[in-house]
Amino acid sequence: MKKIIISTLALLACVAMLSGQDASTIVERCDSVTYAPEDQVNKIKMILTDKKGRTQEREAIAKQMGNDYRLFRFTAPASQEGVAFLSLPDDVMYLYLPAYNKSRRIASHVKNQNFAGTDLSYEDMESVPMSEKYDAKLLETNEEGHLLELTYKPGRKSDYSKMVTLIDKDNYTILQSDYYDKGGNKVKALKNEKIENIGGYWIITDMLMTDLKKDHSTQMIFSETKVDTGLTRDDFSLRILERGF
Amino acid sequence: MKKTAHYIIRFRKAILAVTLLITVVFAYFLKDLEVDPDVFNYLPDDDPAASLFNEIGRTYGGNYIAMIGLEADNVFSLAMLEEVRMLTDSLEIMEGIGSVTSLTNVIDIKGSEWGIDISTLVDPWELPETREELDSLRRYTLSQDMYRGTLVSADATFTTIMVRIAEGTDKISVARRIKDFVEASNSAPVKEVYYGGLPFTLLSLSDIIMDDLLLLAPLTALVIILVLFIGFRSWRGVLLPLVTVGFSTIWTMGLMGMLSIRLSIISDVIPVILLAVGSAYTIHVINRIRETPGATLRIRIRESLSYIITPVLMASITTMIGFVSFIFGSYLTMISTFGLFTAAGIVFALLLSVTFAPAFLSMFPGKGNDPIFNNSKTGKGIHSGGLLRRTGKLVLAHPGRVITVWAIIIAAGIAGILLLERKVDMIDYFKPDDPTHIAEKMFREKFGGSFPVYIEVIGDVQSPAVLKKMDKAATFIEKHGAVTHTQSVADLIKEMNDLMLEGASIPDEKTKIQQLWILLQGETIMEQLVNYDLDAGLVSGTFNTGDVTVMDRFVEDLKEYLEKESTPECRMQLTGLPSLYLKIDKSIVNSQFQSLAYALVLVLLVVSLLLRSFASGTYSLIPILATLVVLFGFMGLTGIPLDIATVLVGSVSIGIGVDYSIHMISHLNHEMKKHGKLEGSITHALNITGRSIILNVLAVSLGFLVLLFSNLVPLKHFGLLVAVTMVTSAAAALTLLPAAMLKIQSMKGTKKNEQK
Repeated sequence: MKKIIISTLALLACVAMLSGQDASTIVERCDSVTYAPEDQVNKIKMILTDKKGRTQEREAIAKQMGNDYRLFRFTAPASQEGVAFLSLPDDVMYLYLPAYNKSRRIASHVKNQNFAGTDLSYEDMESVPMSEKYDAKLLETNEEGHLLELTYKPGRKSDYSKMVTLIDKDNYTILQSDYYDKGGNKVKALKNEKIENIGGYWIITDMLMTDLKKDHSTQMIFSETKVDTGLTRDDFSLRILERGF
Repeated sequence: MKKTAHYIIRFRKAILAVTLLITVVFAYFLKDLEVDPDVFNYLPDDDPAASLFNEIGRTYGGNYIAMIGLEADNVFSLAMLEEVRMLTDSLEIMEGIGSVTSLTNVIDIKGSEWGIDISTLVDPWELPETREELDSLRRYTLSQDMYRGTLVSADATFTTIMVRIAEGTDKISVARRIKDFVEASNSAPVKEVYYGGLPFTLLSLSDIIMDDLLLLAPLTALVIILVLFIGFRSWRGVLLPLVTVGFSTIWTMGLMGMLSIRLSIISDVIPVILLAVGSAYTIHVINRIRETPGATLRIRIRESLSYIITPVLMASITTMIGFVSFIFGSYLTMISTFGLFTAAGIVFALLLSVTFAPAFLSMFPGKGNDPIFNNSKTGKGIHSGGLLRRTGKLVLAHPGRVITVWAIIIAAGIAGILLLERKVDMIDYFKPDDPTHIAEKMFREKFGGSFPVYIEVIGDVQSPAVLKKMDKAATFIEKHGAVTHTQSVADLIKEMNDLMLEGASIPDEKTKIQQLWILLQGETIMEQLVNYDLDAGLVSGTFNTGDVTVMDRFVEDLKEYLEKESTPECRMQLTGLPSLYLKIDKSIVNSQFQSLAYALVLVLLVVSLLLRSFASGTYSLIPILATLVVLFGFMGLTGIPLDIATVLVGSVSIGIGVDYSIHMISHLNHEMKKHGKLEGSITHALNITGRSIILNVLAVSLGFLVLLFSNLVPLKHFGLLVAVTMVTSAAAALTLLPAAMLKIQSMKGTKKNEQK
């Protein structure tokens, strides 16, 4: 009898380990797909919809290199054309306002602030690999994909308590993510509506982030995506920020 | 009337059954009775100040702000910040809450040589821990106008969490949820929690109204039982009036429930009024039956009914005058509703006293020796004969002196009227030791109050001209003195312009403003400052006093200023609690004049009609006018303000008190016809009618004095004042009225002699 119990326990432990390993493998594969291109350049159309269904549109050009270099420049509406954000490693961030013809460094230490009126916080926008941020647990694998529960690694601080993320079984792209607050309430939902293969990489080209509390959403449609264009650090300098692309 | 009486006896079973049925139906609807203590809800829907205020609530994320004040030795300790963070985060996700602002989530814009930092005052997930960090936060926070006196008191012993209740939710139940949650999670560093702002005030009021209703109605019933027992010495005599008036109360309140009319702070007293006033009708009916001789009880009942219906009808009509005067004379729906339903209750009481009460007596006659039917055993209650005789002698011997004494009283009254105060501040509804009162006082002392003031600026909020107007208006209201903590999007733009190293001013180019906007978009605070289409914005501030004169001066000055400053591109209008409170104050004053005017005219008409003499009608006004002067003089001298409840006393006391004059005048007329001499008639009337007047004054006044046990200050005052006016109008009817009649008669006599 004792033996049966021990062997059952051992078996259970193995299953747990296996599934744990499985989850982190999935996360790593997902990271490798997400961060595969050396760099990319996109045109982005943002559609902001409030709870009464009123919409606002904005357009921008975004350049990204690796995980840490990003330049984001608004092209529409006309009044905000040319306003640009530059992100560099170690959370260094600059803002350029053409009306003032000046750039200023801006603090970006509070990750829960939303970026420029969208529903994406600075944390949502940062490119930290999931495997660095989260401990993953595989909830289930079904026809849609792998459903993971992601909880923050010790020492990682966030407004969220966890995420539940669905990852495509075949190409390991993120299909959707639900964000939960500390009270266990679902507060945001991300849905990647369109994923395209561009230059051999799986790239998300249409995403919808909904803030469930505010009943406000941001759709981001990416177009004219170019990958591996050979960007260098010089493309992410203050001079470029102030001068334009 | 004989026919009616006949039918009442004949269909007594049906009457009893129908009465019970109706009572059951109305009792069922009592469950639907709800309380709405918000006085602003009783301004008519189309009132411009109220509709602008509500509109602003809808556009800018709610204007009902619940304030939670936490007291500690030092707000800047890790334990306190953790507590504030916990409450902030928990309240943010609570249902019915629009937004929460506290030390741990408030926006902070600062700049330096280094750059721009738009974030929160503290990083909620990296709270300062060391003494040094905490002290530095304390220094910074207290140096900023945006936080000192709004989120933290200047001595750092209080911090406030401001919670905006979402529009379209039940503010009171949300306030209750907040309070329950905070109460349950109260932790060690917090010494005391204070709940301020309109939502919590309304919550306390709504609880008190219900508690009062459950306490005062039974208490009044008890007093009536006591008085009735002294009068009748029979349980049947006690219970029948009580049940009759109890039924009419159930009908009235049930009708309100059925029609979804919510209880206001004044409709709270309807049961007390009905119990105190309405029981008299059944008493008259029973009394009459007792005094009517006849072979069988049924014959006695029929005989007495055919006589009593008319006088009881008259008594109820005059009483109703007081309440009906509110229906026509009031801008505030809570006052007209109060008048309407109290009048309806009196109709019910009248109806039941002439149908249900006699039907019941004829169905259940009881034993023959019940003192209720036996005249000789009763009437030993109150010995007032001696007093009345002396009064009679005094009036007859020295009518001039009586008039002089009244003239002195009236002169004192007029002096008192000059001191009359008005109050509209809801906080004065609470006793000084009530937690709500204490909390509100604390918020006024430490945080500049809890009354929001708004200037809505209609124009392109990204235009430099409009922002400059906003800025100027904010400076103007701050200079005025009563307003602190002004806030508008112009402040943010000025700060951001400073961060772009161009000084703390509004930039002259619109594109600069539009580009700064990108950094502010999506911040919670923006929803409270500008509308979605960016064609209107708010300058808000906190008003720190409920003083009507200060509010009046502020609103007048500001209206003038805004009119002068408005342009077609930038229109500005004022609203906020001071504007609404002033509206209510003006409504109360108007209501006072109008309802008194209606009541006086109606009394003159009805009394003249009832007594078929215009002279009698005019005479009946003498005691009433004297009573009114005494009422308002008493209020002025004792410092009882004119407010939402005391405004009712004048007309109510006219309605109830005029009965005494009617009784006196009709008795005098009757005697005069018999004997022709006024002097003898006065003695007779005083002895007979005077006695029943004194009994009635005692019963009614005692009934109303029960309101002294109310937890609401205006209702306490209301009870006391009705008692005072009852005594005054009775005293005036018994002394001033006959003395004046004597004087007038002697003057006429002199004139006639002169003419001869």
